[in-house]
Amino acid sequence: MELVTKLNPDSAQATLDPTAPIWQDVLAQAVTGELIAVLNYTSLAGICEDPEEIAEALEHAEGEQGHARAFTAEGKKLGIDVPSNVNAKYWKRLRASFLRCVEERDFIACLIVQEVMLESFAVASYRRVGEVAPGSLGRTFAAIAAEEEDHIDHSIAILRAERERDRAAFDEKLHGLHLEVMTTIAEMFAREDKDGHCELCHGACVKQSLPVVGLTMGELRGVAMQHYLKTLDLLGVPGEVTLMWVAQLPL
Amino acid sequence: MPLDFALIAHQESWKAAADVLSVLRGPGLPPILDLDLRELFAWIPPRTVCRVELTSSLGHSVQGVYIDAFIPPDRLGYEFRQENIARVRAAAAYAIKEGAKIVSLGGFSSILIEGDSALLPDAGDTVFTTGNTLTVSLIVQGILAMCAAQGRELREATLLIVGASGDVGSGCARCLAPLVKRVVLNARALDRLNTLAGELRSGGAEVEVSVDLQQLSNQADIVICVASLESPSLLLKQLRPNAIVCDAGYPKNLSPAAGDEDCTLFFGGLGQVTGGMRFEPDVHRVLHHHPFPNIAQGCMLEGMVLALEGRFEPFSHGRGFITPERVHEMGAIAARHGVQLAPFHNANGAVQEALHTTQEQTR
Ligand SMILES: NC(=O)C1=CN([C@@H]2O[C@H](COP(=O)(O)OP(=O)(O)OC[C@H]3O[C@@H](n4cnc5c(N)ncnc54)[C@H](OP(=O)(O)O)[C@@H]3O)[C@@H](O)[C@H]2O)C=CC1
Ligand SMILES: [Fe+2]
Ligand SMILES: [Fe+2]
Repeated sequence: MELVTKLNPDSAQATLDPTAPIWQDVLAQAVTGELIAVLNYTSLAGICEDPEEIAEALEHAEGEQGHARAFTAEGKKLGIDVPSNVNAKYWKRLRASFLRCVEERDFIACLIVQEVMLESFAVASYRRVGEVAPGSLGRTFAAIAAEEEDHIDHSIAILRAERERDRAAFDEKLHGLHLEVMTTIAEMFAREDKDGHCELCHGACVKQSLPVVGLTMGELRGVAMQHYLKTLDLLGVPGEVTLMWVAQLPL
Repeated sequence: MPLDFALIAHQESWKAAADVLSVLRGPGLPPILDLDLRELFAWIPPRTVCRVELTSSLGHSVQGVYIDAFIPPDRLGYEFRQENIARVRAAAAYAIKEGAKIVSLGGFSSILIEGDSALLPDAGDTVFTTGNTLTVSLIVQGILAMCAAQGRELREATLLIVGASGDVGSGCARCLAPLVKRVVLNARALDRLNTLAGELRSGGAEVEVSVDLQQLSNQADIVICVASLESPSLLLKQLRPNAIVCDAGYPKNLSPAAGDEDCTLFFGGLGQVTGGMRFEPDVHRVLHHHPFPNIAQGCMLEGMVLALEGRFEPFSHGRGFITPERVHEMGAIAARHGVQLAPFHNANGAVQEALHTTQEQTR
């Protein structure tokens, strides 16, 4: 099914597909996440010393900007404006966590937050949305998921090498960031927002309406958690440790 | 770091799954809501839940890991077979990656791949065992010990095996058929039962076969339940008074509602490690809801005792190859390291061996 605005024969007026408001909220989260990534990679460039690393971070920022544009364009095709708000409750917290790592000029911590935590969740949930979203919307989510995955690989290699240098220190840093960042992400993905509106959905929270488009919040947080655990496995962190970390998140 | 052994396991109920995660969450956090648990559980990739150390009564120890395949307890059924095989394969790959020298395929994990290690990922130096030979040994030891305690003449007894054509069931039948008066074999498919019956008859045993459990249960003095059921759902109607019933299923075979007979019901296929077991983190008390310490299923214990023995070989593999000789050999290995028959117990606690004293407890 290609999802476009339909002509309502009774009123002879263009009306939105009933699922459009749901995609609007889904896209708002995606665009905001991309804009946060733009900010994060730009900040990261500021603390890199190696010119090659700087160029790479800026290239990533550019790429994420492209993703944001692609998602916005998908909204247009559906006849909707996609809002974004990098100051929305959870996103603001995630950005603040990243900025703390920047302030400490901790390149490794920055990579962990952006590439292991934020991107894990982006890849897994985009991929799932890509499977159910109709037409070009679905294709765009799937294609961006694949691109995100590509640039994670490089960072994983850096992080693995870093862990090999000093496992205990690396795991301690990782756990500290997990407690901070993953708690925010877990609250964001929780069945309901415990402290009110997420400040991004245009009306009531989209979570309850997701089944209309073939998604559930449970499934999205399931795939996201799975991807996160698999990414931690790639880093070489013992499975019993990561299982305990995840089990201790607010659920 | 190479590991002596790995155990591939899954939880037998949502309650058990919740208990494990509660231990991992620690005492400071509220327990996970059932809704969240059921939503998230299936997405957890197979991984180590805890490290295990097992000590032989000879003094030395082996180290291993307990790997959960995270099969949702209500999705053990045939319709989920493909996804569960994928989970077992992923758990096996995890065990290989961890460098385990021998892996026990616990519970349904061997049933799903039908004991066929060719279905598992390329194993390198890792070997797999279904653990069913030690399971049979412990079931048989349990039946013999209970009959002895109650002064029963095995030679006069009719033995009913539910799930008789399975790997564990056929192993039990081969060991016990020569010792009893008559064996009754039950499962759903007749052809495999007939094949086994033919084999047992040629050894001189009196054998009957039926797919109708209720028609047969009133003839049995001793019942062994080893059917691969997704949940404790079996009803045994009209058992003989004072029948001995061993439930060795995982999940259990017998419905809790099936226990109101005048019978002695105990959980079988379980061993006790007299040298001790240590779990880190300490999930032992929730992994095994037994009223005695250091209890584990035979299938799990087999890989561990083979590691203690330094025999890293696929001792039990495939389906239907378990012979009395192998059962004897495995029982002797286990005994050498202090792994013995677990004290008799069921869901209500310890089971007194002497006749009639169990009646209060099984109610
Ligand atoms: N206590 C322990 O340590 C251990 C326990 N086990 C448990 O023992 C049981 C058997 O394992 P295993 O022998 O490997 O499995 P198999 O798959 O080899 O055999 C299962 C047997 O159960 C029969 N069966 C299945 N459903 C029913 C039913 N509804 N009524 C009657 N019979 C049935 C099957 O025959 P058919 O399909 O024709 O009905 C077959 O005979 C499982 O529950 C397993 O988890 C296993 C290892 C260790
Ligand atoms: Fe992106
Ligand atoms: Fe990205």
